[in-house]
Amino acid sequence: MKCRNASAPRNVKSVATAIALAFVFGSASAGNDFDYCLLCHGANANGNYGIRAPKLSGMEPWYLARQLENFAVGARGTSAEDAPGHEMGPVGMRLKAEGAIDAAVQFIGKLDSKRPAPTLTGDVAHGKKLYENCASCHGARGEGNPALQSPALAARSDWYLVTQLTNYQKGLRGADERDTYGAQMRAIVATLPDEKAITDVVAYINTLK
Amino acid sequence: MTNQFSRRDFLHLAGAVGGSTAAFRAAMALGLLPAAAHATRPQLASLKKSKKVLILGGGISGLTAAYELSRKGYDIQVLEASFRAGGRNMTLRSGDRIDETGFPQVCNFDKDPDLYFNCGPARIPGHHKELLNYCQELDVELAPFINDNRNAWVQDDAMFGGKPIRAREYFNDSRGFVAELMAKSLKKEHLTGPMTAADWEQLREYLKQFGELDPQFKYIGTARSGLASHDYTFPDQLKKPLSPSELLKSRFMQIMSFGETDDQAAMMMEPVGGMDRVVAGFLRKVGHLVQLESQVQKIQVMNRGVEVTYRRNGQYVKAKADYVLNCIPMHLLAGIEHNFPKDYAAGFTAIPRGKLFKIGLQMKERFWEREGIYGGISWTLQDIQQIWYPAHGIHRKKGVVLAAYTFDPNAGEKFARLAPADRIKLAIEQGSKIHPDYGKYVETGVTVAWHQMNHMLGCAAQWDEALWKQWFKTLQAPVGSHYLMGDQVSYHPGWQEGAIASAHRAIADIDARERAAGSVAA
Repeated sequence: MKCRNASAPRNVKSVATAIALAFVFGSASAGNDFDYCLLCHGANANGNYGIRAPKLSGMEPWYLARQLENFAVGARGTSAEDAPGHEMGPVGMRLKAEGAIDAAVQFIGKLDSKRPAPTLTGDVAHGKKLYENCASCHGARGEGNPALQSPALAARSDWYLVTQLTNYQKGLRGADERDTYGAQMRAIVATLPDEKAITDVVAYINTLK
Repeated sequence: MTNQFSRRDFLHLAGAVGGSTAAFRAAMALGLLPAAAHATRPQLASLKKSKKVLILGGGISGLTAAYELSRKGYDIQVLEASFRAGGRNMTLRSGDRIDETGFPQVCNFDKDPDLYFNCGPARIPGHHKELLNYCQELDVELAPFINDNRNAWVQDDAMFGGKPIRAREYFNDSRGFVAELMAKSLKKEHLTGPMTAADWEQLREYLKQFGELDPQFKYIGTARSGLASHDYTFPDQLKKPLSPSELLKSRFMQIMSFGETDDQAAMMMEPVGGMDRVVAGFLRKVGHLVQLESQVQKIQVMNRGVEVTYRRNGQYVKAKADYVLNCIPMHLLAGIEHNFPKDYAAGFTAIPRGKLFKIGLQMKERFWEREGIYGGISWTLQDIQQIWYPAHGIHRKKGVVLAAYTFDPNAGEKFARLAPADRIKLAIEQGSKIHPDYGKYVETGVTVAWHQMNHMLGCAAQWDEALWKQWFKTLQAPVGSHYLMGDQVSYHPGWQEGAIASAHRAIADIDARERAAGSVAA
């Protein structure tokens, strides 16, 4: 039994990027380096609640890229209280190589996105009322709005939405000045006063198609 | 460690990694396991016509199953996600790669047969018969492993101003104190129940021996705590007993019996040259059946057999088998596509993952041997919790010391959040409270945060009594021809013996099915 030899890169733009990525992940073979994404984020990056890794497939490329940049520069995932974000932190920081983020986003874009099964229940009617504040940016159907850099919320990991809303509330996300859109979100999350409000609004988002 | 230990915490510690003693006993009490009996290796029948078995994961349980089944006519393929086989049985040597999410490292130890670090399992108790049988059968040479060393140090900032004391002083001065206190306060009339006044003398004698009290039942010190000097041209001189009130300030009392537990008491062993000699032994037999860098993405249990989809070289590959033995950690299995029953799959996210953390440091001199420490463990109540001294390579120039081994998940997370160099810095800072010049001997180090190691992302499954009761039988039972395996599906998680037990149980079940179907040779 031997370590597999380096094979031709498949999901990256150029050989130079492949070499950069091999460095990024420290592996001998660049061909399936992005399979590391699937290790945490699950098959087709549809998310793994077991290790609190959110669904990535189906996310807008511009949104994915921005968040990876946030991780890469340490504007996200540096708080000890945000344990899963902190686990992503050093991974993101290794995506600083030229083209690495683009290649990662491209890889995620090709995956087979599936609507995740809901994991929570809440007061949907109350959530609908609360969602009125969200709709102006994220769309009435949670479809997102690229013009405002607001990502879609429908068909995401619901438990992840709860975590992120809570993180905004606690200042674990959106507190870094380099994360300008995160700062906007952090301000607006004040309209969700407590845990129940967060659960209810996410329960409503679960109904959006 | 910031939290107080409960008794259950202690039992968890006693189980080394995830612990299991309490639940194991509970299971015995419930009649789930025969008392004091050893499960034995199943005697499998040979197949008349081969059956395809896919084994997902090339750790100890997977390799055990591959070894046993391949000898009986089963067609075996082991799919291993990592670039290496062995799972958490991992020994680091010069040049080895540490595949940690976000922090890939390379081991820079000198190239030397004694300079290695067992970052997963590192010791084998004498009653782990199945593992020991495989060691014998696979020519894995064993040597004694020193676990409990009364000459090693105990350090706690809460006692003696943080100054370390020899373990023997802690053990024997506290015992002397307790024995004296009890002997003095114990009156004949107190004795009821199984002990009566007639036993009073005997009990006092026991206390005298227990604490080594003088004829007046006073504790004035004992050679068990070490002599003040070992200059044998002078008469022996006892050390002055340490202050009991200082000794009682330390929570070390909650881990002091570690070396007396079922799995940790002498006689312990280790493979010569590193724990991964066990893996190498299995691979000599079944290495050709193991395919690396094959990451499972999908498992479909069919009416007959199981279909598995995995990624290799960036491509999806499908494989079908009559049976699947699945050793993928449950918390990762939760992210894989599957068609398991809901009440089975829900268990994958119900059992928390372990977060053990270890550091190994190459020391340019074996300074601990100059302190009279040959092997064993120094304990501290700081984050690093333990320092292990190698029992191999005694009196050679260099040695690899275990410089941190955290049982507390908070300490594990604290270290894991740091970059490797900072983890080592913190370990040196804390270790320096035990060995003042510690840092100056450090040449290079490796850090292993199991919950961030790729293809693992966790250490032993953190079962507890309630979880065992709710989930174990469900997860242990096959779904069609699919079996969950690994130490995670045993009452001994965190031990290779548990992994082997799970494999034996699964293959015995397959054997029974094949026998029932009449597909085995007479």
